[in-house]
Amino acid sequence: MSIAGKSQKSAKFRCNRLLLTAVLGLYFIYTFIPIFYVITASTKTNPDLFNTFGLWFSNDFHLWQNLRDLFTLYDGIFLKWLRNTFVYATVSAVGSTVFATLAGYAFAKYDFAGKKFFYALVLGAVMIPQTALVIPIFLLLSEVGLLNTAWAVILPSLVFPTGVFLMRAYVDDAISNEIIDAGRVDGAGEFHIFSKLAFRMLMPGFTTVFILAFVANWNNYFLPLVVLNSPENFPVTVGLANWYATAVGGTGGVLLYTVVMAGSLVSILPVIIAFLIMQRFWQGGLGAGGVKA
Amino acid sequence: MAVITLKNIKKNFGAVGVIGNVNLTIGEGELVIFVGPSGSGKSTLLRLVAGLEEVTGGQILIDGADVTDLGPAERQLSMVFQSYALYPTKTVRQNMSFGLEVARLPKAEIKARVDRVAGILKLEDYMDRKPRALSGGQRQRVAIGRAIVREPVAFLFDEPLSNLDAALRVEMRIEIAKLHQRLAATMIYVTHDQVEAMTLADKIVVLDKGDIQQVGSPMELYEHPANLFVAQFIGSPKMNVLSAHVDGKSVAFENGSRFALAGTAPVGLSKIGFRPEDISLVKDGGGQLSGTVEVVERLGSDTFAYVSVAPDSIITVRAIGNVAAITAGQKVGLALELSRLHLFAANGQTIVRPR
Amino acid sequence: MSGTVTKRRPKSRVIISKKIAPYIFLLPFLLFFFAFLIVPLLYAFDLSVYKKTLVGGTRFVGGENYVKAFTDPKFWDGVLTLFKFGLMQIPIMLGLALLFALILDSGIVYAKSFFRVSFFIPYAVPAVIATLMWGYLYGPAYGPLTQVADALSLPRPEFFSAGAILPSIANIAVWEYMGYNMIIYVAALQSIPQDLEEASMMDGASAFAYAAKIKLPMIVPTIIVTIIFSIIGTLQLFAEPYLMINLARNVINTSYTPNIYAYTLAFTAQQINYSAAISFVLGGVVAVVSYVFMLAVNRGDDK
Repeated sequence: MSIAGKSQKSAKFRCNRLLLTAVLGLYFIYTFIPIFYVITASTKTNPDLFNTFGLWFSNDFHLWQNLRDLFTLYDGIFLKWLRNTFVYATVSAVGSTVFATLAGYAFAKYDFAGKKFFYALVLGAVMIPQTALVIPIFLLLSEVGLLNTAWAVILPSLVFPTGVFLMRAYVDDAISNEIIDAGRVDGAGEFHIFSKLAFRMLMPGFTTVFILAFVANWNNYFLPLVVLNSPENFPVTVGLANWYATAVGGTGGVLLYTVVMAGSLVSILPVIIAFLIMQRFWQGGLGAGGVKA
Repeated sequence: MAVITLKNIKKNFGAVGVIGNVNLTIGEGELVIFVGPSGSGKSTLLRLVAGLEEVTGGQILIDGADVTDLGPAERQLSMVFQSYALYPTKTVRQNMSFGLEVARLPKAEIKARVDRVAGILKLEDYMDRKPRALSGGQRQRVAIGRAIVREPVAFLFDEPLSNLDAALRVEMRIEIAKLHQRLAATMIYVTHDQVEAMTLADKIVVLDKGDIQQVGSPMELYEHPANLFVAQFIGSPKMNVLSAHVDGKSVAFENGSRFALAGTAPVGLSKIGFRPEDISLVKDGGGQLSGTVEVVERLGSDTFAYVSVAPDSIITVRAIGNVAAITAGQKVGLALELSRLHLFAANGQTIVRPR
Repeated sequence: MSGTVTKRRPKSRVIISKKIAPYIFLLPFLLFFFAFLIVPLLYAFDLSVYKKTLVGGTRFVGGENYVKAFTDPKFWDGVLTLFKFGLMQIPIMLGLALLFALILDSGIVYAKSFFRVSFFIPYAVPAVIATLMWGYLYGPAYGPLTQVADALSLPRPEFFSAGAILPSIANIAVWEYMGYNMIIYVAALQSIPQDLEEASMMDGASAFAYAAKIKLPMIVPTIIVTIIFSIIGTLQLFAEPYLMINLARNVINTSYTPNIYAYTLAFTAQQINYSAAISFVLGGVVAVVSYVFMLAVNRGDDK
């Protein structure tokens, strides 16, 4: 991919290279500062948080104590939040990605009455501000008695129109009509073709959509904030935000400052690590979808 | 092996008619080639036979049984696709076994059949590879192997060689011809390449705009094209065609040169066609036409001269004799082999003359 | 001909299955799509044409809530805030994303994949936690940025002041979503055929000219899509300002963005019906802005 093949060694090229790398390096520092701050803050006592320099460690390494506080406070409710987040995000992401894959496959590979209408609906839905739906969803869920349950967070999250849009593009790209026809000539039924031939060819796209859905649900705040009210059902986002509000609200909450930081650290680390491990997959899949988009 | 009969086949995509009204019988063990330009409906017709598209009207019979409403596998046909359509996540063996597994054949029989076909196609060394690790020619053979193991009543080929380079195409063409001899199978083969059609076919079906233009053996079509379309489509280089009309007892080209034809004057004559090999180059002033040599192509075995006889009207001549002497810019006369002229009416149909 | 026609069989199961398969593939998605998107939408609309009164219960009022929304300065102030926010945040975020994507794609920097991945990481950080992090960093008493200013004897930055709060929030959004957009651009750039680059080198174009004149125009469709998604995202702004209410109590009020307003109306003020109308008008604003933007882009294309 190198642009300046033969002139690689010229002084001008090296100069540009250093300059541009420095630009990226600056942005990297900007990206990393908040994360670094969370790391240092998690290792401090509350007084040190205010009295020592924010972007470096203090002498008193208090990380283990903060973590112990984090996991024992209010009968270890943080662990419940972590578990809730994990369950909500996993179930929602698996479900919505499977549904989006099936729907995207139907849109990409079949002609059927109503196709244009349904697809227009899906595209239109991508435009609808999700938050505009949360309040009516709250009211509907309360009527069927699902408020304050895991279902209240999971069921609405199974709708992922962007996933359908991405999967349609990916299916178009990854599976030729001839492959499906070959399966038909070989005697496989439509569902057999999907499960035994097509699905494996769709894995990169599936992984990408899954990761996007997982991150979106892992990060979700507004929906759980509205539909959940007992703390033991909260995901991390809602729980930490509550502690944070207590902390900055003054009176008595001050002790929570470092615990909130430790909680932030604990909840972002797994996702960051998962991202790093799986980057090969999501980058591949995003390519096909992104370009078509 | 099977006889395939198409009766009054019609196909519309929405409001657009793709196949007009096709009647055709493909005999047992015949290799029939559907040929035509893109948009002629040849691939659609094949897909109708395969059962991948549903007919709008008409019937498809295989050995007398109506299969019009059956799915592809139920018709017991197999098909080789233009892109090969190998399953990328499966190995060569799994690709070839898939259809048999779907049909729930015993494992031992699947293995026996796949191994036998792999032997015929010399695929033994590649059985555990994925398609992406194969060359174009190998993929083509796997696609053919996948079709053979199912022991179908007929084979369908949809432009199977168009993704190969020129040398490999010739090689695979010969392999398919050998395979046809060996299996003595009914085969329908679609191509836009008339050379493939001429070299492989027992019978060629020329299609244009969704209608059959002519059905016949390669040489029949070459010698006796039913209309201008077939005349120009079959044969390489193309047949030369000039506008002409009957003038009294003789025939006149547009540039005024005229000559007499044996027998009665052809009524309704509008165009005259003649193949490059039916012309000889003579001295300027001789022959029925005269013009200037524009370009000479020397292929070694053949030499083609392109002679302009009027603005925008270039005649291809296969030169014989002292071809070294032909040069661009030369004024030449063209002597036509009058007994081998093709005469066409204004509607493009061949005017048949008593011989 | 009918005399020779063989008896027709009924349509094979295979053929029928090909016809109904797409509906079965679509069914699970559509089921939830209707239950949790279409139905709530209709329900919200239904709510929005009623009004709850202290006496007489709930009654049908037609467009009254909409009339109220259209003339509600609190709502339009929120929309205005979002416009200011979007005009500030979107160009900076997408401009940086585009610049970095072009730099990374040109391959003339060190540690390409390191930068690509690390710029994307903030996307994995929940907006809530990103806001917490930046909230601490901005902190007027204990925040490290204040500490730095103090150490340098500079005036303390006022991140939560009336003039600075919007850029402060915009910064969080840039931090979170720049990398995501950059990755989309990188993917689009990678799809540009290699021989174009060779052709432009044959024409004597420099790497910069190639990036600006050839590559950039080729990913315009992708850029348009990211702009539209950014606009939609902006108009839904909720978590960041909502969490900062306690930090900047005098600046961020309960109608700071339309979403916060709708939330407060529904859950604090118990005005569900009016809240639904506000959500609908906000949806309308999203649609209109996206549509106008598309129109402007298409107009530009025609020229």
